[in-house]
Amino acid sequence: MNKRFNVFASLGMLLLLGGMNSAFAQQAVPWQMGFQEAATPVMERIIDLHNLLLWITSGIVLFVLLLLAIVVVRFNEKSNPVPSTVTHNTWLEVAWTVIPIIILVVIAVPSLRLLYFMDKTYESEMTLKVTGHQWYWSYEYPDDGNFTFDSVIVEDEDLEPGQPRLLTVDEEVVLPINTNIRILLASEDVIHNWAIPSFGIKIDTVPGRINETWVRITREGVFKGQCSELCGVNHGFMPVSVTAVSKAAYKEWVAQAQQKYAKVGEDHIRIAKAINLAQ
Amino acid sequence: MALAETAHDDHNHPPKGIGRWLFSTNHKDIGTMYLTLAVISAVIGGGMSWLIRLELAQPGIQFIDDFQFYNVLVTAHAFIMVFYVVMPALIGGFGNWIVPLMIGAPDMAFPRMNNISFWLLVAGLVLLVLSALIGDGPGTGWTVYPPLSNSTYQPGPSVDFGILSLHLAGASSILGAINLITTIFNMRAPGMTLHKMPLFVWSILITAFLLLLAIPVLAGALTMLLTDRNFGTTFFDPAGGGDPLLWQHLFWFFGHPEVYIMILPAFGIVSHVVATFSRKPIFGYLGMVYAMISIGFVGFVVWAHHMYTVGMGVDARAYFVTATMIIAIPTGLKIFSWIATMWGGSIRFDTPMLWTMGFIVLFVMGGVTGVVLANAGVDIAFHDTYYVVAHFHFVLSLGAVFAIFIGLYYWFGKMTGYKYSETKGKIHFWLTFVGVIVLFLPQHFLGLAGMPRRIPDYPDAYAGWNMVSSIGTVITMISVFYFFYVMYCAFRDKVPCEANPWGEGADTLEWTVPSPAPHHTHQITPDLTGATKPAE
Amino acid sequence: MSGPTGNNRKTAVVLFAIVGGMVGLAYASVPLYQLFCQITGYGGTTIIAGSRPAETVVPVDAPMITVRFDANVDGALPWSFRPDQKLIKVRVGMESLATYSATNSGQRPIIGNATFNVTPYKAGQYFQKIDCFCFSEQRLNPNQSVSMPVSFFVDPEIFSDPNTREIRTITLSYTFYRAPADKKLQALSNEKVGTSLTKKDSKTQI
Repeated sequence: MNKRFNVFASLGMLLLLGGMNSAFAQQAVPWQMGFQEAATPVMERIIDLHNLLLWITSGIVLFVLLLLAIVVVRFNEKSNPVPSTVTHNTWLEVAWTVIPIIILVVIAVPSLRLLYFMDKTYESEMTLKVTGHQWYWSYEYPDDGNFTFDSVIVEDEDLEPGQPRLLTVDEEVVLPINTNIRILLASEDVIHNWAIPSFGIKIDTVPGRINETWVRITREGVFKGQCSELCGVNHGFMPVSVTAVSKAAYKEWVAQAQQKYAKVGEDHIRIAKAINLAQ
Repeated sequence: MALAETAHDDHNHPPKGIGRWLFSTNHKDIGTMYLTLAVISAVIGGGMSWLIRLELAQPGIQFIDDFQFYNVLVTAHAFIMVFYVVMPALIGGFGNWIVPLMIGAPDMAFPRMNNISFWLLVAGLVLLVLSALIGDGPGTGWTVYPPLSNSTYQPGPSVDFGILSLHLAGASSILGAINLITTIFNMRAPGMTLHKMPLFVWSILITAFLLLLAIPVLAGALTMLLTDRNFGTTFFDPAGGGDPLLWQHLFWFFGHPEVYIMILPAFGIVSHVVATFSRKPIFGYLGMVYAMISIGFVGFVVWAHHMYTVGMGVDARAYFVTATMIIAIPTGLKIFSWIATMWGGSIRFDTPMLWTMGFIVLFVMGGVTGVVLANAGVDIAFHDTYYVVAHFHFVLSLGAVFAIFIGLYYWFGKMTGYKYSETKGKIHFWLTFVGVIVLFLPQHFLGLAGMPRRIPDYPDAYAGWNMVSSIGTVITMISVFYFFYVMYCAFRDKVPCEANPWGEGADTLEWTVPSPAPHHTHQITPDLTGATKPAE
Repeated sequence: MSGPTGNNRKTAVVLFAIVGGMVGLAYASVPLYQLFCQITGYGGTTIIAGSRPAETVVPVDAPMITVRFDANVDGALPWSFRPDQKLIKVRVGMESLATYSATNSGQRPIIGNATFNVTPYKAGQYFQKIDCFCFSEQRLNPNQSVSMPVSFFVDPEIFSDPNTREIRTITLSYTFYRAPADKKLQALSNEKVGTSLTKKDSKTQI
């Protein structure tokens, strides 16, 4: 009875994940001009700050354009044959020093607040360990049975219909939504960078040290990213793909994964890190 | 003063033959050689960018299926543009040609060292080209981060050739900087106090100090990488107690002042052209001087804004955010001062002025995306994406490179004795203006949408803007060919140019000597003590 | 040679001296950087404890801190390396012991050494190591396994610092590398290192 349930559960998981991979993939769309839709509180705040910045910077550019347009029309040699000799105006010089300072402060306050929000170490409910390799990612789940697996790009020839080119991997990273997740990042060889635009995550994996960040995913879906630090010839071909599911679905997946990834294949480069540790 | 020049005409003939160039101690000839080197390198470096953009025109692999070669193209393109185009053109080229003319000096302080500065650069270029041809080529990006740049991951001599190339270019720059500083400090005409010095000379002086302080740090880091690769040291290797991040700190400590090294001379040229064509003195001379000094100074303490994602402590990031944003103040002051100079002027929009208007608009656009990137929180989204590529190409390709064209057109008559065709110069401007905007503006969108840098192929969603960007490349290609046509016509038609083709707005000393400037000028130092003209 | 306003040679000498100074500064950055990290705990650098913790300082109701253990191995080192315990809950100020196990799966004796840091980085200056296998190189014969201890304590000051007051979990991470001294050993052993790096699905061979 248990075996049959397991078979159905894993089939159902496959269908769920497979379906999500093609249907709800969070990645760029053609002719996109803005950020991808946020899936974390951090990215929501990044988008908000960027909107503020966009208003301010567009305003500055348009202001300069306007001034230059006036110059072209009013002060060309035909319109204004005699040039003035003004080379100083104290009020003006004060204004164009003080007003930019005010604008920068208006930017800096929310900007620094965002920075400290991103850094705060919230007590996390689980940990994901990400390791960068030339040229793929491997993932460990130390709190859920400490299994590990590699996530390698699926080449163009092997793609199923609907799977996006250069963003599809053979093994998805599955994470629960609405959970504070600690992410540890390491590298086995050179500097890589684990990035997912819709999460607002981008952090180097530096060999010889561990980096840490946190994420809280707020909606289900499949979220794509790419390696973001030049790491050799296949730097453009080591995508990141995270499938976010409900907490219940995540527990089911963990049960499957503990069996599926328990055995470490012979063709893997690294000696097995997947060892069941007793608490 | 002009009379004094022509009276010595019989001593004013340059030496004949190849020796004139190989052994030159003449600041004008050396300046010409630097400009020629810059143009040749621009063709090579530009050609590489064309290959890159042709590959990226569509998703999938077009014709570059060797990705090491693609990474080498990306690396070499950057090195060539930075070290062998912009720096030689602005500092070696215009610096050498114009600074002695503007301050009333007969030549540079150390004419023979000037010569070796140039030929060191040529040797450096040869080594850089060799690095791409021998072995697999340096596939590290111009930032050369270890461990990727270490011998384990880039075996063979390529990166070592690249390192040596940079050593030579660095030595050339250091010697050039010493030459320029000494010349400017010690050889100004009497009456030209520092506060009466032309703004271009100020920009070169500050740039030279930046070079003096920044390049040695690069040299140290490069040597550490060289010994890590070949002699078993472990400066950047964690296995031996080293740290890959140390490289990044050292490189960017040089790297950030480097971008101000590239733009400050551009600022200097723009100040002169704005004043000349507005027929007004520059607005707020002293503010302009101190703005450039503060940009140079603050530029040294902001380097880690290139490293926001390495895993830096939050307080350190907060500091670098604040310090970086501060640079916007003096830069904004300069932009507004240029506009205030034009305000009330009587402007003829000849080719140099047209390019200058383009420079101001496009540099402001590039500058504001820099302010956006300065914010570490937002930079998490933009780091290593095409938004950064768009930013620095706006300020460099549309800033520094535009300034090279501004200088070329502005001083063309002085250097060659000929006039270029105004109509053709204007066409060249509009072709380039449209081309580079179509090229680089869409890259902001690609970055926002999440496209990473330094990849030879991209997910299909990025196809649209990439195609537009590559079309921009084609337009820019045409504009470059057109530029050579403009130059060819000028040298073919040989329309003579007078000493001062620009009128009363051009009031610096170079306009008092004939066009072309004789081989030796200011052999009698002009006396400016009683003169009423401020050297602006 | 001099110009109207000064002596060129003197100026040049001063400028060359500045250049030399900057090169010196670049090289000085190497030990200075290390020193800076050690003193400030920057980047999660841990502190080497000067002495054992004084046990009387710790209040009984002080919060517990969870210390997690992480292990990494460089691609060129054919060792398996893992923590023997996933985590320990410790009281600040109390000396604790953790162990890691390493096995040499290669064909020849290999010397390795470990680099380390903690996250969050700001915890680094409060994480004091009394004794650690990472203080010295480890030599393992083929198929030899060893259990390596690290004794440490978390400085109670961590809860007085407003920056670090909220920390409840610290992750201690090690990465094992082939020690530089291993090159000689490799030459002596006259054999290639056990595993070779296979590049998965690389589109070109370099």
